[in-house]
Amino acid sequence: MPKKIKVPPYLKKNDTIAIVCPAGAMPAKKAAKCIETLQQWGYHVKAGKTLGQHFHYFSGTDEQRLNDLQQMLDDPTVHAILCGRGGYGTSRIIDKLDWKKFRKHPKWIIGFSDITVLHSFLFTKLNYASLHAPMANAFNEDGWKSPYVFSLKNALAGKKNRYKVAPHPLNRKGTARGLLLGGNLSLLVHQLGTASDINMKDAILFIEDISEYLYHIDRMLVQLNRAGKLKQLAGLVVGGFTDMKDTSTPFGKTIDEIIYASVQDYPFPVCFGFPVSHEKENMALKIGMPYEMRVGKTVTLKEI
Amino acid sequence: MNRKKFIKGLLATAGSTLLVNQLLAGTDPSLRGLVPQPPLLLPGDIIGITCPANPMELKEMLNTQRLLQMWGFKICVGNTVGQQWERFGGSDAERTADLQLMLNDPSIKAILFARGGYGAMRIVDRVDWSAFQQSPKWLVGFSDMTAIHCHVHTLFGIPTLHAEMASGFKQQETISTRSIRYLLSGNRIEYTAPAFGQNRKGTAQGILVGGNLSLICAMLGSKSELQTEGKILFIEEVNEFKYTLDRMMMSLKRSGKLSNLAGLIIGGVTATRADNEMTFPMSVEEIISEKVQEYNYPICFGFPAGHVPNNYALKLGVPHHLQIESTGSFLREIIAPSVVPPVQPIEDSTNNNLMFGHLPVNG
Repeated sequence: MPKKIKVPPYLKKNDTIAIVCPAGAMPAKKAAKCIETLQQWGYHVKAGKTLGQHFHYFSGTDEQRLNDLQQMLDDPTVHAILCGRGGYGTSRIIDKLDWKKFRKHPKWIIGFSDITVLHSFLFTKLNYASLHAPMANAFNEDGWKSPYVFSLKNALAGKKNRYKVAPHPLNRKGTARGLLLGGNLSLLVHQLGTASDINMKDAILFIEDISEYLYHIDRMLVQLNRAGKLKQLAGLVVGGFTDMKDTSTPFGKTIDEIIYASVQDYPFPVCFGFPVSHEKENMALKIGMPYEMRVGKTVTLKEI
Repeated sequence: MNRKKFIKGLLATAGSTLLVNQLLAGTDPSLRGLVPQPPLLLPGDIIGITCPANPMELKEMLNTQRLLQMWGFKICVGNTVGQQWERFGGSDAERTADLQLMLNDPSIKAILFARGGYGAMRIVDRVDWSAFQQSPKWLVGFSDMTAIHCHVHTLFGIPTLHAEMASGFKQQETISTRSIRYLLSGNRIEYTAPAFGQNRKGTAQGILVGGNLSLICAMLGSKSELQTEGKILFIEEVNEFKYTLDRMMMSLKRSGKLSNLAGLIIGGVTATRADNEMTFPMSVEEIISEKVQEYNYPICFGFPAGHVPNNYALKLGVPHHLQIESTGSFLREIIAPSVVPPVQPIEDSTNNNLMFGHLPVNG
């Protein structure tokens, strides 16, 4: 039986969303549209010190990033934490975070890409649901009125996800129910063998990645497989694998074919082309919550 | 050759006999110099060549063939050489079958992998290792072959050779290929590396394990995951972004692989720069040092092995003695006193190639 996950309270009008950058640096002006939109949705916004700050590649030193995130985790007047952006750096601070106050006042932690490290940790170690969703940059240009940013709004307000996906020739039919897990493939694999290694038994796993060599993707899938993770799944949801790179000896398979081959021995349903990615197409998904995926003539993924 | 280095090598050797005696009296059986090793090669022995990863054309084999023959060995070229399936030297089934044939054939005394790239970890679970366990033979390679090194060490404890592959054989014998010949024929190598600012001084004894960092990390969570406790870990990497290096070192750290080492050896590590990102605020050495700063085992940087011009062959899975001093780093195999061969230096006519280290050899 899947474990019982704890669900942080959904947001009400006038609640406060904090914005922090636990990994890469983000100029403050790039978060302006996000802040404005969150305010229009009826929330207060509290910008952390790491937003608009940079220490070379990072938004601050490890200590600064840790302190900023810790402060927002501890602050009972903060009801959700939206990560400004990903990049790299969350795993450098994850083991130093203190979750005592978070347990007393749980809150939604929002983001994707490098933030997969936080999601994995929350699910595995703390047993809390979290929100895989667009981050601050997704609000820019016309993003704030896109269905993807809108899906974040709905998720925060407590509406259940119901997504319909276009059919794909490599889809494998079937129905699965399970807790939804996932995120960025590189970061999921980065957790293997560590304290935040994810228990994927009976889960619906979703994966996405960007700018990787095809053979790296294959290697990561082989690693997941050899770690015994893929055979345990109830279903697989494949998001965007964009800006893929190949070597001078071409792989000879498309990215979808590589992913399909890695699970061809297993019986569970597989859905390709789900709008979760580093591009605009990035629907909010609640990690740790029970979902149902139906792959047939029509393809749906919905929270149950 | 550097006379001073050589004298130091001799002294270190005298020390090693004492050390082995102490170890033999100790409690750790893995350090008694008694880890059985695959048999040495004799003139006329056959070396098999196979492609567990990327493909290799037959015409690329000429140097390898010539040199191995000059060394007095015969060659068995596997079915995967000269073949290609997608990006590999054959399908998973074909690459497995080729390696299997060579592992099982008692007339093949060692297996030299054709080249790295990617693909070995796709077949390690398909291979039946039982014949190899019964009669081990030296498996020679690096880079992607780290998957095979890790698998064989963790599951069977059989030593392997981290060394240049067929693709790296030049027309003339190089330091890299000569060191293979030395180790396969039972000569010892006393490795030296120049002093390095970020080195941590000290002495360590332990079984040498490791290889390519990406592949060591790709084994995490699987049954071929390296056990590093009490061991000397060797890592090398080529052409990765600094943030990827940092992430991999974090993986090793968070999986506990760095906490109980006897020592750490860093071979060639090169990073590429991410043009689209701000610079990573640490050097490669800082990225590595930072992850192990809370421990106090010795650390050697700049060891001549990996994707570097002088890729010295290393016996993985075998106890080694590592000594890091202000003058440089010294590594040698721990050998039971009864089998210690005499060390005799040779003058090297291609001394220009000798960037680090030297190759004493018994006469």
